[in-house]
Amino acid sequence: MSHRFLVFAGVAALASLAAAPVAAQTATTAAKAAPKRGGTPPRTLWGEPDLQGVWDFATITPLERPRELAGKEILTEKEAAEFERETLERRNPDRRDGGAAADVGRAYNQFWWDYGTKVVGTNRTSLIVDPPDGRVPPLTPEAKERADARAQVLRRPPAGPEDRNLWERCILGGNTGPPMVSGPYNNVVQLFQTPGYVVILNEMINDARIVPLDGRPHLPPSIRQWRGDSRGRWEGDTLVVDTTNFRDETNFRGARATLHVVERFTRVDARTLLYEFTVDDPMTWTRPWSAAMPMRKAEGPMFEYACHEGNYGMVNILSGARAEEKAAEEAARKESK
Amino acid sequence: MRTMPFGAAAGLGAIIILATAPVWAHHSFSAEFDANKPVRLTGTVTQMEWINPHAWIHIDVKRPDGAVEKWMIEGGTPNTLLRRGFTKYSLLPGTVIVVDGYQAKDGSLKANGRDLTFPDGRKLFLGSSGTGAPKDGRDPTERKP
Repeated sequence: MSHRFLVFAGVAALASLAAAPVAAQTATTAAKAAPKRGGTPPRTLWGEPDLQGVWDFATITPLERPRELAGKEILTEKEAAEFERETLERRNPDRRDGGAAADVGRAYNQFWWDYGTKVVGTNRTSLIVDPPDGRVPPLTPEAKERADARAQVLRRPPAGPEDRNLWERCILGGNTGPPMVSGPYNNVVQLFQTPGYVVILNEMINDARIVPLDGRPHLPPSIRQWRGDSRGRWEGDTLVVDTTNFRDETNFRGARATLHVVERFTRVDARTLLYEFTVDDPMTWTRPWSAAMPMRKAEGPMFEYACHEGNYGMVNILSGARAEEKAAEEAARKESK
Repeated sequence: MRTMPFGAAAGLGAIIILATAPVWAHHSFSAEFDANKPVRLTGTVTQMEWINPHAWIHIDVKRPDGAVEKWMIEGGTPNTLLRRGFTKYSLLPGTVIVVDGYQAKDGSLKANGRDLTFPDGRKLFLGSSGTGAPKDGRDPTERKP
C-alpha cells in the first residue's frame, strides 16, 4: 500500500512530565468488558508483543447505553440478535419514511455505509464500562454553556468553514479520536511497530499518530495539537498510550484542551485486539469515564481517504448558506414593499 | 429461561426504536441539500469521480424540450464500495441510471444520490460488506475471510 499520505509530524521533546494516569476502571467492569485472554501474543523481532496489522472496530454497540436499557448491562444471545435486527432496520438508509428532512439526513443508499452489523462479542449494551450506568458522566456547568454556544453556531448558516465541524473540514476523522469510537464507515486502523515507536494510522482522514515509547516527556503545555501528543509504554503485554496537549477546537464530545486520554491495546488472541480507553477532563465532565471495544483482525488493505482535495461538500455547504441568506433578504425586501 | 428485567425480546424492539442515535455522517446533508427540492432524474453516466470524502457521479439528463442538463450527484465514500468489490469499472459512462434525491441549496445542478437505481429498479451497487474481519456469520452478505 502507498504511504505517501503519511504525514510525519515533527516532534519536539521538552519539559512537562506525563500526567498521572486517570482513575482505573473497577476490576469487575474490566473483567466483564474483556474477552477471555489466552496464550502468549506473537512477538516482534525485538521482543515486544506484535500488534501490527489492520484492525476493524466497526460495531453497532453504542458508546452509551440507551436510556431504555438502564440497568441492563449484558444482552442474552437472543436479545443481542434482536438488538442488531432492530438497530439495522432503524438505521437502514434505504428506507424513505419519516418525511423529507429525515430523508435528506439519511443521505445515501446503504451500500455507501459501513457501520458494522454486530454488537461487540461481550454483548454489552454500551462500550462505556465505567461509570457502571454505561453513560458519559454529566457535563460541568461550564461545559454545558460551551455546548449551548456551539449548538447555536451550528444552527445558523455558516459564515465560513470555521463554523463547521472538524470532520467536515477534513481536519479530524469523526471516529479516530483519540479515543477511537466506531462510526459510519472507515472503521479501520493499522498499527505499525519499530523499535521505540508505534504508529497508529486511521483510515478516516488518514490520521497517523507516531507514538514514541522511550519514556520521553510530553510536549510543553504551550504546544497544542489537533490530536494531542501521544506517548506510549508497555505494561506487561499491553501497549498504553497516554495523550495530552490537545487544542480546545479538538472538541472530543465537548472536551477542552485539558482532555487527557489513556488508551490500552492488548492482543487477546490472534484475531482480536482489545481496545480500552479512559478519558478525563475536569473542565468538561464531573468524573473520568472508560470504555472497551474489541477490534477484529481485518484482511486490509487500508484505503487512502484524501479528504480535503475532494471536499466539494464544503463548497456546497457554504454556497448553500449564501443562497439561503440571499433568499431571506429578498423575502424581507418584498415584505417591506 | 431467565427473566429479562425489561420484558420479552419482542418488547426490546419497540424500546430500541425509541433509543435513537442519528445516523451521523461526514457532513450535515441538510446544510448542503434542500429538503424542499426533491428531484428525480433519469440520466446517462458521463463520469464517476472516485474521490473522497464523497464520490460524485456525473450524468447527462435530457429535458422534455431536448436540452441536456449536466448534473453532479453526490454519493458516499468510495472506500466502502472498494471493500464491497466494486472498482472504477463498475459504473461506466453510457450507463443509464435513475437518481432520486434532493437538489443543492444554491440551486446549481447538483443533488445527493439519495436513492440510486437502474431504470428497472435494481440498486446501483449491491455487494458483500466488510473489511474482511471475521464476524460471526449471521449476516449472509458478509464476505468470507
